[in-house]
Amino acid sequence: MKLSSVNLKSFLAKNGIFFALVLLVVFFTILNPRFMSTGNALNVLLQVAELGIVVLPLALLMISGSVDLSVGSIASASAVNSALVMSATGSTTLGIIAGLVFGVAAGALNGFLVAYLGLNPIVVTLGFLSVWGGYAMMVTGGRTVTRRELPEEFQEFGTAAVGPFPVRLLLLLLVVAGVWYVLNRHRVGRETYAIGGSERAARLMGVNVRRVRFGLFAATGLASALAGIMLGAKVQSVSPAVGLNLEMNALTVALLGGVAFAGGVGRVGGVLAGLLFFGVMRNGLVFLQASPFLQTIIVGLTLVVAVALDESIQKIVKQSWATRGKAVLESSIKANGDPGTLVEEGTTEAGERQRLGVGKH
Amino acid sequence: MMHSTQSLPGAGEGDMRLRLENLSVEFGATRALDGVTLSVAAGEVVGLLGHNGAGKSTLFNVLSGVYAASSGDFTVDGVPAPGKLTPQEAAGMGITVIHQEPALAPNLSILDNLFLGQGLRPSVGQREQARRALAEVGSDLDPGLMVDTLSLGERQLVDLARGFLAGGMKMLLLDEPTAALGRAETESLHALIRQLAARGVTVIYVSHRLPDILDVCERILVLRSGCLVVDGTAESFTGRTLAQALAPGMGDDKFVPARVQTSAGLLRSDGVSVAAGEVVGLFGMAAGEQFSFLAGLFGLDGHGRFSWNDRDVDIASPGAAVRWGIHLVPADRENDGLVSGASALDTVFLPWFSQLPGRGWWVGPAVGENTYAEARKKLNILGPGSDAPIDEFSGGNRQKHLLSRWMFPRQPRVLLLAQPTQGVDVGAKQDIATAVRELAAQGVAVLVASAESDEIAQLCDRSYVMYGGSRAEVPRGPEFSGDLVSTLLHLSDAERPMEGVSR
Repeated sequence: MKLSSVNLKSFLAKNGIFFALVLLVVFFTILNPRFMSTGNALNVLLQVAELGIVVLPLALLMISGSVDLSVGSIASASAVNSALVMSATGSTTLGIIAGLVFGVAAGALNGFLVAYLGLNPIVVTLGFLSVWGGYAMMVTGGRTVTRRELPEEFQEFGTAAVGPFPVRLLLLLLVVAGVWYVLNRHRVGRETYAIGGSERAARLMGVNVRRVRFGLFAATGLASALAGIMLGAKVQSVSPAVGLNLEMNALTVALLGGVAFAGGVGRVGGVLAGLLFFGVMRNGLVFLQASPFLQTIIVGLTLVVAVALDESIQKIVKQSWATRGKAVLESSIKANGDPGTLVEEGTTEAGERQRLGVGKH
Repeated sequence: MMHSTQSLPGAGEGDMRLRLENLSVEFGATRALDGVTLSVAAGEVVGLLGHNGAGKSTLFNVLSGVYAASSGDFTVDGVPAPGKLTPQEAAGMGITVIHQEPALAPNLSILDNLFLGQGLRPSVGQREQARRALAEVGSDLDPGLMVDTLSLGERQLVDLARGFLAGGMKMLLLDEPTAALGRAETESLHALIRQLAARGVTVIYVSHRLPDILDVCERILVLRSGCLVVDGTAESFTGRTLAQALAPGMGDDKFVPARVQTSAGLLRSDGVSVAAGEVVGLFGMAAGEQFSFLAGLFGLDGHGRFSWNDRDVDIASPGAAVRWGIHLVPADRENDGLVSGASALDTVFLPWFSQLPGRGWWVGPAVGENTYAEARKKLNILGPGSDAPIDEFSGGNRQKHLLSRWMFPRQPRVLLLAQPTQGVDVGAKQDIATAVRELAAQGVAVLVASAESDEIAQLCDRSYVMYGGSRAEVPRGPEFSGDLVSTLLHLSDAERPMEGVSR
């Protein structure tokens, strides 16, 4: 295969989601020209703000080779806890703090079980998906904490804005910036990639694998709690099912955004594109007045397609490394002579054959 | 040494059992087999030697249909193998491979194992067929026995018997078959090999145990860096000349002995000592105890304990080891050393970000660039730039990155190297040796664990030989590499258990 075609293929594999996003926007605009408007763009962003807040730390966790399927239930349980504290004390601040503390604790518990006890992350967090989902239902008796029980401050939180910028959007930006910094400019980011690429190699480098993984789980729990509270504020009432399907959507977005399920690979830009793709898709389906059941089916199919793409993308990228490496080596050999045989006379393979009296067949 | 095809009287060009024609296999940038041409007659027993990465397993994998050759082809009894040979087709051509660990399911019976994956329809005759196949390898085991009740030697027989089920066995490829066997089991395996050869089966025998090869093989082939470099009759070799044939024997005259700086630092652990400024070898069997010794010092499996300048040091984890200043370059660089996808720069600096300016709180894209450039010059690293993924570099240059990581960003007190030059080309071996000797001269204590005597000979001032818990010290002499091999043979003959007792 020619080098240029290999480069093109791996470029497309790595950046396909950006092109897919543009195509999707064009597609919906053709079907309905009103789709392309500033108002609708802001709508899309606001619709995925909470999802984005969960996906970014989850992507970090996935890059480290782990996963958290309990994010949706942690969001529900945290939101419920925070609502109950608010209605009991009348203090929004206390309520939010209670919710966030619960989220960190739930994430840390996942982290402890996975990182320190070595349990399988899929099984552990699947278990807590059920535990925290059940907990949220139990403490509320399955009933929604209504707006009448919640402080007024909290009701304003959902629509609050700094200048023209909605607070919910600013919180998303804050999380994006934080995750970008950790992944690209902090030591822990490099360690996260290393752990996901080869946990054993990372350990042999002296990386404290357990501590990093524990921290990532705790951060994901915190972000889930924040998302759950925000989802409640958005509709000004807190249902125990507020985080329903969040894990499903978050996993879909992360995989769409090029995070490898096997770990070691993923970028913030890709995840953001995946998030927008997901938001545009849902928004577009609403625009086309598709049935909500059809939407659920499409999200599920997207997840399956994303996993399939993940596999082939990683393969294409690995192939391109090998091909490119070979090309570079060959050109440097042409320029400098063969590095393998440029030693002293008599130590080249041909020399050895002669010395040992072996003819080449 | 005579050319093989002429050394066999009566074996005409036409009736060769196996014929390889200019066979090459490439993986990415590395060439695992490089234009190998050879032919083997029916009933011949051939020993195949070579260091790790020399291409022995690749050759076996091509013959058994696991890998496809990049170019060239091979024929069995004059019938060319199809380009995309599958393992099933290879078995159908009469090619059987026996690995060190028999590929059997322990929770099934012999009978189930024999017919597993053969695609044969279950029938009443199966038990009889199995009994006949077992009889072919001289065993009267009951096919109903569970595999996990069998000894390792018996399991190998079952594995062998499988080769007789698919049809006639024409060629038997043995990959380190005696590595885990006791003496009696080894001898009965050799007897069986002779019987099979007498019946016309061609045997290719890979082993690190030179005496085993000399015991049973008529002809010896040596692979080095994917090329066939030696092909001769077994009588023309002794243990010592074989060791020499394996060793490139270079750089000996240029070797500068170390200035031992015992006062600057002296590590002692379990009968081994190494002083600052010194490069000391630990020689033993393939995957032998010398490697677990290094892992132990590094705190990889529980605490690492040793004394440094007569003071006790306790290393709790690899992290603690790195903080103390003991660095390990592991033997399996792809799985234990490198992280696929990491940039070349990150590969070198991953453990060190917290010690660079910014203490790991701001790791810019060019942090460490200067040290990296220096390391690249010192180790003569070739390939793409510092931001390219490490996977784009060739094997030898990847190994040089791994060495750079532990040698240059921070100078260690003790450097542990596990087979630092395995699977790299001759030039890279020389570069690595030079850099390691230079680092030692700056007052670093270096331990080199290896199963290749010439690697020790190229790098070390003296060496220990390790086998079965015993240690023997071997000083550097004119025949260093050969001395190491004969010391190991001596130790292993004294220690080798009589029966397949677990070691």
